[in-house]
Amino acid sequence: MTKKCIVLIAFLAVLFLPGPALAEKTKVSPLDIPFQKIVEQSRKTDVRWYMYGGWAHVNDWVDTYVAGEMKKQYNIDLIRVPMDAGVFINKLLNEKAAGKKTGTIDLLWINGENFKNAKEAGLLFGSFAQKLPNVIKYVDPQSMVHDFGYPVDGYEAPFGRAQFVFEYDAESVSAPPRTMEGLKEWILSNPGMFTYPQPPDFTGSAFIRQAFYAVTGGHEQYLSGWDPDLFAQKSPLLWDWLNKIEPFLWQKGQTYPKDSAFLDTLFSRGEVSFGMSYHPSHAQNKILEGSYLKSARTFVLEDGSIYNTHFTAIPFNAPNKAGAMILADFLISVEAQLSKYRPDKWGDFPALDLERLSQEQREKFQTVDLGPATLGSDILTPVAVPEIPSEYLEALEQGWKENVLDK
Amino acid sequence: MSWTSKHCLRLSPLMLPYLVLFCGGVFLTVCQSLGVLTPLPYEGGALDAYIKLMGDSAFFASFFFSLGVAAASAFFSVAVGTFLAYRVWQLPRQLATAALIYKIPLILPHISVAFVILVFWSSSGIVASMAHSLGLIQTLHQFPNVLYSGWGIGMVLAYTLKGIPFAMLLVMALLVRFDIRQIQTAAMLGASGLRIFFTIVLPRLAPAMHTGFIILFLYSFGAFDIPYILSESRPGMLSIHVYNLYFKHDLARRPEAMAILVIMFCFALVFIIVYSKIVNRLENGVRKL
Repeated sequence: MTKKCIVLIAFLAVLFLPGPALAEKTKVSPLDIPFQKIVEQSRKTDVRWYMYGGWAHVNDWVDTYVAGEMKKQYNIDLIRVPMDAGVFINKLLNEKAAGKKTGTIDLLWINGENFKNAKEAGLLFGSFAQKLPNVIKYVDPQSMVHDFGYPVDGYEAPFGRAQFVFEYDAESVSAPPRTMEGLKEWILSNPGMFTYPQPPDFTGSAFIRQAFYAVTGGHEQYLSGWDPDLFAQKSPLLWDWLNKIEPFLWQKGQTYPKDSAFLDTLFSRGEVSFGMSYHPSHAQNKILEGSYLKSARTFVLEDGSIYNTHFTAIPFNAPNKAGAMILADFLISVEAQLSKYRPDKWGDFPALDLERLSQEQREKFQTVDLGPATLGSDILTPVAVPEIPSEYLEALEQGWKENVLDK
Repeated sequence: MSWTSKHCLRLSPLMLPYLVLFCGGVFLTVCQSLGVLTPLPYEGGALDAYIKLMGDSAFFASFFFSLGVAAASAFFSVAVGTFLAYRVWQLPRQLATAALIYKIPLILPHISVAFVILVFWSSSGIVASMAHSLGLIQTLHQFPNVLYSGWGIGMVLAYTLKGIPFAMLLVMALLVRFDIRQIQTAAMLGASGLRIFFTIVLPRLAPAMHTGFIILFLYSFGAFDIPYILSESRPGMLSIHVYNLYFKHDLARRPEAMAILVIMFCFALVFIIVYSKIVNRLENGVRKL
């Protein structure tokens, strides 16, 4: 019996042993050594990149091109792990709460409120972005000061740019609306043929921000930071606008598509006339994939179309921070950005400043054939407007629930 | 060593995971709902999240809607399941073996059942197409809006499809021990089939039916997978609401998400206690066969 007791006590002891005490190696932080050293240090290591896994073509690009180049150039094995940002944030929160000093994630694909959440909760490693040679050489520092109005401080490195576009079928809609007001008129005269994904879905939430800018007099007023009084004063205009169109939406506005994939399906089956995406090349990808009609096209509204930058960041407990920095640097390199820009690969817009490239490099970007459904930067750039500070985003999502969904 | 500690030790392989994982989880949930041990330091009173929920009519709408969906699903599952089990039990032996196919939905994951319902009942789905080719409806728009009716019919269908074989399994276990002579006697005395079913068979099956109802009811009240595919925007199911709060909103709202979970957990406990009390009282009033 005593023997059993001892076994039990030992078992309990192991269970409650403070984990980090077991293995704690003192290592020089990669922030304090030259980049060349980091490259040498990370040879023959694994890098685990946790990223959104819902796009087959993006997964393919990462698994073939990025993984291949990482192996060839740096002898690093890239392991892609598909996971939604909200989920890995919670994983990291739990690891931090449990005092786990060595985690499993090396690099994150992150931005917006997830970045804010992660940085505020102390889940991120540090100011590494300014150490990356490709960031220094090719990225406009102004473009990485804020992420949804929240200071970046080098805690994440840019790797792509996205802009909000609407999608339509050129054969059934001859002239798509040109302004938010025009869209409203279209919706009222074509009942049942428009809807948007239910916020807090990423795309649906972007749609209501877009409408918020358009019906309250532009984006400039919101960019100086969170102002509750301004929000209280302006937001009723948006609720009013959204409630006016609601009875004319798909299913009479009784229900909303759960996410953007659901809306894509409705659009591809012709149940609604417009799709929408935060990725300008989404429609072209869908055509290439065979799920959209060949006549699908995209358009932007003259009142502005929101753009943002997506980033990579390193968690506080990443086991291979050096390798993660190499990957983050490679992703913002000219060759990776160019490959990523091709619509048959991904079609994601470059986060580089084209002005900083050589003539030859710039031409390579300019000659990429984006396909008939993707708008060129000559149309996208003039209407591009920045994202709203993330406090507004949260307030808009909550306000939508209270004033539109539950009203 | 005393009797109890000996038993505790023997039970420890069972008790430890229970204590550490389950009780630990509940403890953490309660703490976070009160704003303690949250990922971000929480400013505000301990009961803020609960007070906010109690004043939120949308929360109650969602709560009662989830209750309704769960009650309807559990009721139909148990009613249909019991009836089918009784009929299968009455089948000749050879056929009864073939009737084992009723167990197939048991091994299907909930999420696949949700997709089955989606594929069959959406307005451009299989049933609508069949009705269209049979000439029952002229255009697909005439097909009744099963999935987006505002009544959660899609979810009730999915839960019922999944719940029927489960209820059958529980009821069958009692039926195999049923003394068939009771039925024969009743029949000889001139009782009709219906009367036999309701006065002789049903009371014997009641324990399995009650257990089945409680399990199915509480499962569909809190489960996430079927609502994720089939629920509508309004009124939303509670589980979807919690999911959104937890994963898609600011971390500052964590206490709210946890408070909903605590309320759901407490409701489940209260429900089990009240339900068993009522059933006990009812059964004590009934003359035992």
